[in-house]
Amino acid sequence: MLNITLNSIKISLQKLKKTLFSTLLNTIISLVIILITCLVCLNTFGWLLYNANWKVITSNLPLYAFGSFPPDEQWRPATWIISLLLLSIVTLFGPEWKWLRKNLISAWAGTVPLGLYLLYGGIGLSPISSRHWGGLTLTILLTVCSSLLSLPLGIILALCRQSSLQLIQKISSIFIDVMRAVPLIAVLFFGQLLIPLFLPVGIEVDRVWRAIFAFTLFVSAYIAEDIRGGLQSIPRNQIEAANSLGLNQYQIIRFILIPQALRIALPALTNQSIGLFQNTSLMAILGLVELLGVGRSILANPEFIGQYIEVYIWLACVYWFVCTIMAILARHLEQRLTINQANF
Amino acid sequence: MKRSKKIFLQLGACIIFISVVGILINNLAINLTRTGLGFNFNWLFKPASFALAEHPLPYNSSDSYAWALFIGWLNSLKVIFSSLILATILGILIGLARTVKNSLLGLISAGYITIIRQTPLLLQLMFWYFVGFLSLKDDMFINIESIFRISNQGINILGLTLSSEFAALLFGLSIFTSAYIAEVIRGGILSVSRGQWEAFRSLGISEIKGLFSIIIPQALPAIIPGLTSQYLNLAKNSTLAIAVGYSDIYAINDTIINQTGRAIECFLILLISFLLFNLLISNCMEFFNRLIINSKKYN
Repeated sequence: MLNITLNSIKISLQKLKKTLFSTLLNTIISLVIILITCLVCLNTFGWLLYNANWKVITSNLPLYAFGSFPPDEQWRPATWIISLLLLSIVTLFGPEWKWLRKNLISAWAGTVPLGLYLLYGGIGLSPISSRHWGGLTLTILLTVCSSLLSLPLGIILALCRQSSLQLIQKISSIFIDVMRAVPLIAVLFFGQLLIPLFLPVGIEVDRVWRAIFAFTLFVSAYIAEDIRGGLQSIPRNQIEAANSLGLNQYQIIRFILIPQALRIALPALTNQSIGLFQNTSLMAILGLVELLGVGRSILANPEFIGQYIEVYIWLACVYWFVCTIMAILARHLEQRLTINQANF
Repeated sequence: MKRSKKIFLQLGACIIFISVVGILINNLAINLTRTGLGFNFNWLFKPASFALAEHPLPYNSSDSYAWALFIGWLNSLKVIFSSLILATILGILIGLARTVKNSLLGLISAGYITIIRQTPLLLQLMFWYFVGFLSLKDDMFINIESIFRISNQGINILGLTLSSEFAALLFGLSIFTSAYIAEVIRGGILSVSRGQWEAFRSLGISEIKGLFSIIIPQALPAIIPGLTSQYLNLAKNSTLAIAVGYSDIYAINDTIINQTGRAIECFLILLISFLLFNLLISNCMEFFNRLIINSKKYN
């Protein structure tokens, strides 16, 4: 036993020597990197442990998580976030029971109405207006709602752009190209300022839904292009085969084109949703108090003035953590889909 | 599908589309007359009466709105092109660091890419501005007698002064984009088959010379399209300048909307200016692409 471990250590040391210290130049580069990393790590850890004042984080934790949600009702968003986390854990590490795996998709889809019900209140819960939503809860809500709405819109746009009807194809091409040419902040600004101008007098949509609408318009154009890439990579003879089986246009789209295009576009779609999650931070400039907005308002508080580094590092960690969870979940989904393909 | 059915469907779609757009424009017209704004561009030639901290051409607050917008356009162009160059240099270095044999270098650059790509750009920009520049002592951070000086006033290199807003934006955008460019470069280099590496090694060509004269020329056709889309993203991301108070085209439009309420007109101006930026970048890259293809033909 001991011999084997010794041997494996020896082999890995030899490998290390080969990759790090093979030539003079390599050795110099490796040594310089090790030196710099040690210095940076020592300095950072020293600062993190002794100089940083983490009170700005620890005393404001509920604010980061829920914004100005009434304290008595904060169990509601907390339940939602915890249920999302639990669902991720079950999806990743849960048992491989067939009934569980089958119902996971509906469970994921169910989180959106659950979240909206818990936040808005209504039947059995006291109603809370969207002015009080904020923090990580709002960030996640914006991400989830916009990506859920933009997926079908993106699919429709992609299909329209591939359509043989000239007029429909032109309209969707123009929409997609304009949306992809404009910066996101302009679209969001459009959502906040101009949507009320386009609505009839007397009808008002609240800020959160206007933001979700703008995000949906923007992201669906990008999703449409990703799905179009997927559609184009499906070989032509599949459609011919479906035609010869007597499937009609709708059936071909529903059962042949969309499932394959979605599977091919999945990595790109993951990137879009991670990008969307990060881009919700732009709403901090436009007046919603989501995660970054909370950070900004805390920094404006005279009690915590000037503690930029602590707040920004903490926010970066939260964003990084959620993005990583999303990436891992997506990779898991990709693996499952490829396994299914091998079974056929 | 039958021809008659096609025409029928298109007509239907056309009617729905036109009626929806018509209703929206009708609402807009009602709302604009209600607020008493109307739709015209006469205000462009009135004095802007706001000051700009940075202007490459002479500007004062009695100049017209149109001139202020043009200054904003130039400011945008300035930050886009300077960070484009810096991002490319950084991205190439990091992308190459990921492909070389030294695993420590690969680890460091992979860590850099994940950290930069998994955090929002806006947060990074604020970090560079508030932590990187504004929290420096009034005096200096690095001060080498009138050659290179970093302080909360910005950067000063040999008499060339960069304001702290511009410098923060430049660093933030370049570092963010470089992580994406590095991935594009790595993808391009990986797309060249392994046999090419083995071939030049067996010919006794050194690693660095082989990389630059054999691998990269073959990787370029795969790199250029990805690079173009990253440059376009960079141009769009430069609008986040408003978060650090740099007066680019978007920030100036924002100020004008706050002053005059001309949201629709300003939105159109923003749209057209981004169309111009996009055309400029994609045409330059197309030219570059053709240059590479042509140079290949003659070899």
